[in-house]
Amino acid sequence: MAILQIREALRAALDEEMARDPRVFLMGEEVGHYDGAYKVSQGLLAKYGEMRVVDTPICEAGFAGVGIGAAMAGLRPVVEFMTFNFSLVAFDQLINNAAKLHHLSNGQFTLPIVFRGPNGAAHMLSSTHSQAFDALLSHPPGFKVVSIATPYDAKGLLKSAIRDPNPVVFFESEVMYGVKGEVPDEEYLIPIGQADVKRPGSDVTVITWGQGLPVALRAAELCAEDGIDCEVVDVRTLRPLDEKTIFDSVRKTHRAVVVAHEWPTCGFSGHIATRIQEEILDELDAPVLRETYEDVNMPYAENLEKLVIPSAERAREAILRVAYHRI
Amino acid sequence: MTASDASTSHGHPPKIPRTKDELLRLYRQMLRIRRFEELAARAYTQGKISGFLHLYIGQEAIAVATKEVMEPGDRVVTTYRDHGFALALGSDPKACMAELFGKKTGLVGGKGGSMHFFDRKVGLWGGYAIVGGHVPVAAGHAFASKYLGDGAVTFCFMGEGALPIGATHEGFLLAGLWKLPVVFVIENNQYAMGTPLARTSPVDDLTVRGPVYRFVTDRLVVRDVFEVREHLARAARRAREQSQPCLLELVTYRFRGHSMSDPAKYRTKEEVERWKAQDPVHRHERELMEDFGVTEEALEALDDEVVAEMQAAVDFADASPLPDPEERFQHMYVEDPSAHPELGPFDRTDIPALTVRSFDPKG
Amino acid sequence: MAKVITLPRLSDTMQEGVVARWLVSEGDKVKRGQVIAEIETDKATMEFESFEGGIVLALVAPEGETLHVGAPIAVFGKAGEDPQEALAAFESAGGAASDAASPSAPAPDAHGPSPEAATQAEAGGPPTQAPGGEAGETPTDRRIPASPLARKRAREYGLDLRAIPGSGPKGRVIVADVEAARAKGPVAQAAAPAATAGRFVDRPDTRIPLSQMRKAIARRMAESFRDIPHFYLSATIRMDRAAALRAEINAAHGAKVVSFNDLVLLAVARALEEHPRVNRSFAGDAIVEHGNIHVGVAVALDDGLVVPVVRYANQKRLTEIAAEVRDLGERARTRKLAPEEMTGSTITVSNLGMFGIDHFSAVINPGEGAILAVGAIRDVAVPDGAGGFTAAKEMTVTLACDHRAMDGADGAKFLATLRNLLEHPAAMLA
Repeated sequence: MAILQIREALRAALDEEMARDPRVFLMGEEVGHYDGAYKVSQGLLAKYGEMRVVDTPICEAGFAGVGIGAAMAGLRPVVEFMTFNFSLVAFDQLINNAAKLHHLSNGQFTLPIVFRGPNGAAHMLSSTHSQAFDALLSHPPGFKVVSIATPYDAKGLLKSAIRDPNPVVFFESEVMYGVKGEVPDEEYLIPIGQADVKRPGSDVTVITWGQGLPVALRAAELCAEDGIDCEVVDVRTLRPLDEKTIFDSVRKTHRAVVVAHEWPTCGFSGHIATRIQEEILDELDAPVLRETYEDVNMPYAENLEKLVIPSAERAREAILRVAYHRI
Repeated sequence: MTASDASTSHGHPPKIPRTKDELLRLYRQMLRIRRFEELAARAYTQGKISGFLHLYIGQEAIAVATKEVMEPGDRVVTTYRDHGFALALGSDPKACMAELFGKKTGLVGGKGGSMHFFDRKVGLWGGYAIVGGHVPVAAGHAFASKYLGDGAVTFCFMGEGALPIGATHEGFLLAGLWKLPVVFVIENNQYAMGTPLARTSPVDDLTVRGPVYRFVTDRLVVRDVFEVREHLARAARRAREQSQPCLLELVTYRFRGHSMSDPAKYRTKEEVERWKAQDPVHRHERELMEDFGVTEEALEALDDEVVAEMQAAVDFADASPLPDPEERFQHMYVEDPSAHPELGPFDRTDIPALTVRSFDPKG
Repeated sequence: MAKVITLPRLSDTMQEGVVARWLVSEGDKVKRGQVIAEIETDKATMEFESFEGGIVLALVAPEGETLHVGAPIAVFGKAGEDPQEALAAFESAGGAASDAASPSAPAPDAHGPSPEAATQAEAGGPPTQAPGGEAGETPTDRRIPASPLARKRAREYGLDLRAIPGSGPKGRVIVADVEAARAKGPVAQAAAPAATAGRFVDRPDTRIPLSQMRKAIARRMAESFRDIPHFYLSATIRMDRAAALRAEINAAHGAKVVSFNDLVLLAVARALEEHPRVNRSFAGDAIVEHGNIHVGVAVALDDGLVVPVVRYANQKRLTEIAAEVRDLGERARTRKLAPEEMTGSTITVSNLGMFGIDHFSAVINPGEGAILAVGAIRDVAVPDGAGGFTAAKEMTVTLACDHRAMDGADGAKFLATLRNLLEHPAAMLA
């Protein structure tokens, strides 16, 4: 069992999968000679050469499209967006092509491709570089969507994403690449579509993913001081969503709060709340509350940014509210 | 290119030598597309086809010539004006018409309609309906060919209307940067929907965009299917043998509106008539009669055969069942990986190097 | 147009109430300020002075029905006006036309047709009227706010949501309320089978609707016992001197001016002065040490109890306290106490001595840190120190404390002082 950073766990996944299958290649801006903008791909160019670690010009629509075309022709591309903020200029490729072509061609073409990179706010990057695409890219059918928050999940899920025969959107976070955790030495896969209970509890279910996980875990600690025992469910995969794990937990606690690093309006957190009330309304003793970004563009100033992103303190308030606990 | 260029030459005697059988074969292929499109238009007016229906009438020589230069494994990626390519490449007209009718037996099971023909077995890698969006995808197919060393050429067709959009240039850039085996063909039918080229491009010669991507470029007014074939063959050879991307502009004309709902009031009757005078289908018909002594009766008989084939396609489409309701969910995600050979095991390790330039400050 | 009179919010905790008695009839002419009804709140029965004048066109609320604050109870206007018109306008305005209801009252929730009504019927909740607010709709038909889980549980347990006080926001019944209601025992069991015919008289259970007071007691006591970690300290106090002093004072006045309980109240107030830690309460994120000493006195009524407050008790003389307690007690029994006379106590004294109870433990009144349960004064034989026995008077008190706000030693020191004061009561008269 080694202690790895998330970036190292992702690199290990890429390395193992590239070694395992010569069709796997990494493509994106600065992935090769620069060793990766966030050093995820450090050393891979030297090991696999320029055909398999492909530096691209700044042309997201171009290289996302090339990845799609290559996948249709039998390769297994991993396309890195330096951040998903830049994927906006490739949305036609992502949504009109990647998410559609298997279905549109009635199964004639497969698209085993991974689009990965950091998503969500980092630190003081202002509004164009601090956006969450969780809902935007989970909305159109056709993708699988993964969001990781620990080195263990990062490695096991990226390997599964690369082996998946479908297009996978794989969300990481700039501010979490340095997060450390245990990663087994032996090979393992984590199936896409399986949530993970990161902290068991009995009173309130806190549902989260990605950057929301540390917030949710901290809020759970705070609530423990109030005598509220939180169960933290890391969904890990947004699409397909492991609803069973969520519902099982809420059936036990009868209360749910979603902690999400994304905007509230039409957010994925809202989708989760909707699914809970659609399926197990009678299990709820309180409305499902959410702790998300504030509904505003991300300001640069540190104090303002701090107000906008989810906080453990606000998450605690939501948890206490659904528990009908006096603050 | 202005419309008046079309009347500069009638091509007699032909520059490219040909035999009667060869001419008859290609003429028949062009006629098949034309009759298919005409019957589709009629079915549209009868309410059997809905949505957008973009006809290829006037541009048939391009698809037919493309099939002539393709080798097994080669790919065609094209726009939403895609019926002609399907028929030329060998798709079953019945499946094509059934797709237009939205039937279970359609090329893609009624999921795509007119704009989204895919027929992998004949090399048709797709009809794409977002202008320019398929250009990087075609570059990706060519990237895979280079990666796998499969020797295949990707032919990517676009209208001149795709030149303004960024994706086209990003696809061009990567194809040029990595020297990918791809032939980009601009089917310049002179109107982006209703907007004439002069109102969207500062230059008439669209191939001037090629050199900045180190493309080999070529340009031709489409009058003679053999000429088109020769120019396409040259480009395909460069792509296949030297991994040299090419940009070929083919100036042509569509005799119908942009789509069925377009009355084409943006162009004059005189202009349409001028281009019709050198419509390759009619020119080759005259050529068959005048230069090869084929009788009118023989041509009528040939036409009857073609019409019968296409009418059978209409009848087939008409009689075909609608897709089963549950089919709408089919192929959202890969259901059975083992049904897709490309997802199976891969043990080759001979991945070639990617060509990378070094910077020369002198340019 | 005629004016709709709504159920007023007569205390800060009042969410619903009952028109106990109408003091006017339809057709009467009413002046502004005239008492038109007695309203039973969660705390008391209060007179309701009308803010409006006019002819009583309709008395909408039947006597005895529980209504939400802000619900229409009557329509006043000019002779000949149609009260239904005013009611319809009131309903369509979402009940906002009420000028009697406080803005913070949950009036809009409580009114008129809502899309939820259908859902509730589907969920097997209390029967609801079809939308439209036709005549004949009774106030109890209105939707009870309850969480989905609470509804489901109540259905499973066969409990009536209307009978369960809601502790959630806006009175929402949550699952804890349902569980508490169930724990209190069956309210509507089916009658026992007739196997006992002959020898035994079989009497069916009676289902007694909760009064507002009963609901408030249930809610507050459940909340207290659920949330407050109680601990109990008992002490036995010699009351010989207190009895002698009391007899002397009463003899001097020629009447029973002072009760034992008055002495205890005074002693509690004085002891608290020395032990402010017992005059504390727990407030979630802080402990509040109360500056004033306001002693609540539990007064038993036929259908429950109320706790009027003797304010600044430590600053009052024994006879002042005695007179005040007597007045409060009488008005409590006739339900004439004002809400503010029943709020703000920092400790409560509950005395069951008159019922012959030796000692008992009490439940802390939420908002306070302690309650003193006082038993009867008993004649006992105690060792006289010379090998024999002597007659003595003893009383046992039990202090219940909120362990979040204070610890055992705090309560023990307080009780030691209390004992000392009661065993040497003359000092308190100084």
